[in-house]
Amino acid sequence: MTDNAELIDAFRQEAADLLDALEAALLDLEKAPQNRDLIDTAFRALHTIKGSGAMFGFDQVAAFTHDFESAFDKLRKGTAQPSADLVAVALTAKDYIRALIKNPDSTDAIIGASILADLKQAIEADRTDIVQIEQNGSAPVATSRGWSIDIAFAASSLRNGANPLAMLDELRELGACVATPILDDLPDLPALDPETLFLKWRVELASECAAEAIEDIFIFVRDEMTLQLAPVVEGRESTRASVEAPPQELTLDSAPHVAGETARAHVATAAVGPESATLASDEHRRDGAERRQASRRAEDKSAQTMRVSAERLDQLMDRVGELVIAQARLSQIAASSADLATKAIAEEIERLAAALRDTTMGARMVPIGSLFGRFRRLVHDLSRDLGKPVEFVALGEETELDKTVIERLADPLVHLIRNAIDHGIEEPARRAASGKPAQGRIELSASHVGAQVFICVSDNGAGLDTARIRAKAEEQGLVAPGAALSEQEIHQFLFHPGFSTAKSISALSGRGVGMDVVKQTIESMRGSIDISTKAGEGARITLRLPLTLAIIEGLLVRVGAERYVIPLAAVEECVELSHADQEASRERSFLNIRGELVPYIRLRDMFRADGEPDRHQKVIVTSTGDMRLGLVVDQIIGSHQTVIKSLSKLHANVAMFSGATILGDGGAALILDVAQLLSMGQSQADANLSEAA
Amino acid sequence: MPMNSSAALQVVMLGLGDEIFALDASLVREIIDPIPATRVAGAPAYLARIVNVRGNVIPLADLRVRFGMAQRENTADTRIIVLEIALDGEPVTVGIIADKVYEVTELSCANAQPTPRVGMRVRPEFVRFIAKWNEEFVTVPDLERILN
Repeated sequence: MTDNAELIDAFRQEAADLLDALEAALLDLEKAPQNRDLIDTAFRALHTIKGSGAMFGFDQVAAFTHDFESAFDKLRKGTAQPSADLVAVALTAKDYIRALIKNPDSTDAIIGASILADLKQAIEADRTDIVQIEQNGSAPVATSRGWSIDIAFAASSLRNGANPLAMLDELRELGACVATPILDDLPDLPALDPETLFLKWRVELASECAAEAIEDIFIFVRDEMTLQLAPVVEGRESTRASVEAPPQELTLDSAPHVAGETARAHVATAAVGPESATLASDEHRRDGAERRQASRRAEDKSAQTMRVSAERLDQLMDRVGELVIAQARLSQIAASSADLATKAIAEEIERLAAALRDTTMGARMVPIGSLFGRFRRLVHDLSRDLGKPVEFVALGEETELDKTVIERLADPLVHLIRNAIDHGIEEPARRAASGKPAQGRIELSASHVGAQVFICVSDNGAGLDTARIRAKAEEQGLVAPGAALSEQEIHQFLFHPGFSTAKSISALSGRGVGMDVVKQTIESMRGSIDISTKAGEGARITLRLPLTLAIIEGLLVRVGAERYVIPLAAVEECVELSHADQEASRERSFLNIRGELVPYIRLRDMFRADGEPDRHQKVIVTSTGDMRLGLVVDQIIGSHQTVIKSLSKLHANVAMFSGATILGDGGAALILDVAQLLSMGQSQADANLSEAA
Repeated sequence: MPMNSSAALQVVMLGLGDEIFALDASLVREIIDPIPATRVAGAPAYLARIVNVRGNVIPLADLRVRFGMAQRENTADTRIIVLEIALDGEPVTVGIIADKVYEVTELSCANAQPTPRVGMRVRPEFVRFIAKWNEEFVTVPDLERILN
């Protein structure tokens, strides 16, 4: 029972991957309709879904996919051309398959039927005259009384997991057939490699089936074999149609250079004699189907990969985290020890733990392309629905990010891309009026910058209307009319809950939900958002994210008796708080850093620390986005590999800290949430300013 | 009381201030000696600290604050009891400070007394029930309510 459930899970997983591949191929196909490889990829994906769907009892999936596949086959045969309409319908059909797999009972067969009807129409509509002639030409072939088939697999096909036997079996299902092995290539016994295929076959098939039916059987190995089909004239075919299999002697006769027992051994070792073909059972066939899948997978990924559940990787990461902590304690003890051997082993373990940490984090890294793929579809559909032609460009798809970060990025990016198309890109007429090409452009890019990943969504639309955002903010009472605000500060209103400048509410955007959610999600991952825009030229929204959520580089500081970690990514510089500043601190809390005013807050006050402050207070200048804030601490201890432990649910409403970590001596230290402190510091500074005014 | 009157409850007896409390033993993961704790600025006073227990950072709850008792310095008898309780269906690990841990024993729920409305130092909503043990009244606190 559980076995079965596992198999079904595996099927769902595999089908999801295949559907993704199908979608990608369809979208590419729209751009490059002549690309045969794309059509083949799509067709192969469909064929596998059909096959394994039937195997795991997803009969509706198998039936629907079969019809989908048949329609698509016309593309493969070149009797129809892929068009934008066809791609659109095919995408809908793909979604329907996904729904069928997810929950076969809650989907309506009528929808399926109507999709298929659309599909058929799209295919028929695209037929060209030349193609029809071709069709007429091949018509007599399709009703041929029989086939003579020459089959030569690649010598390596056994090693690749193909099962020629099973394919011969499938051929037999089409009608009575005679398979004759061709032994010309069979080497002498010493040179015979059991994993190399030396045999070829000539099969006489008595069937009125179409040529496609035969080709279908070999679809997965089609690229590495030669398959020649010739229709059989009636007289020849009838004489041999009833013969079940040629006798063993026949195969020996045709290999006259070997004799007696040796020859038998050859045939037995090769294990593909025609007689065993007749013994094949259902299990055989199923085995064949599985091996075909295996061989397909082998083609897809020549590098050796395996699926590991995300949960296991998380557990591994937890263990590594604990190891790093234990190792830090060991290093501390070793440092105070006089024993050279202890020091040496501590260093060795430190090196190993660091390498293990990097490898483990690497295992959790996923290229962001897997996420970008989804947006191609989104842009495709939106651009059609809104009547705005949009070109979608994804850059840096190979950029790797922690898988948990990627999962949580999906929704924010959907919001940003929707906004870009709905609000950013203008109507074609307006674009033409301002001398822009009719087709808009959305660019999604990812790149590594230090320990961070930058993800940009940029468009070449109208850009943000700063004046209108400001007017709206004033209207909603978010800011006093006439207040002096920088452009950046005005743009921040976009992230205010319920803030929308869209004049009308569309199905896509304009409700004012979205941007605040984007901001929340990004900040919960210790990331930040920058907006830049140029009127008439477009807008660019940059998400800055940490590479991983599990371990960060931190700066360990002391405030009062407690130690805290400040994420190094947020630290710009450290300066000493001058005596003059210290004396003046009751009056104002701004630092002069190379001529720029930077507000600062005293963490001692913030945390209500006991005891006397240190004589020489240090200021750590932190930044998120364009905002800077100095944090005054008693002492800077040094950098610290920080394994992040989330705070307990009981501490959910503690705002100033984003988590905790364990220090070398076993004590716990809190990790400062710089973005939170910044907004708290900002409001404190604002209060100071208005007091001063 | 929703307790099954015939059932006996396995409990850990602990002292807070001068009073004795009983905790459902099935919640207790371990009992450890006091370890250095880290103060959490901005957290409620009864949850003001965190500790590292075997690589997990857990909050350290001080029930004495919740029960309106005076805080005491740690003594040789002070222990941290590590508990796993369910909050909104999710397991949450939390440590609580005990001035003294007595023993693990069985409390017969047949002896359970209804919580008196008055005369209690502990707020009635924090009490699951009161039982008798060795001629003394012991309070079985309702941890979910106390900590939420």
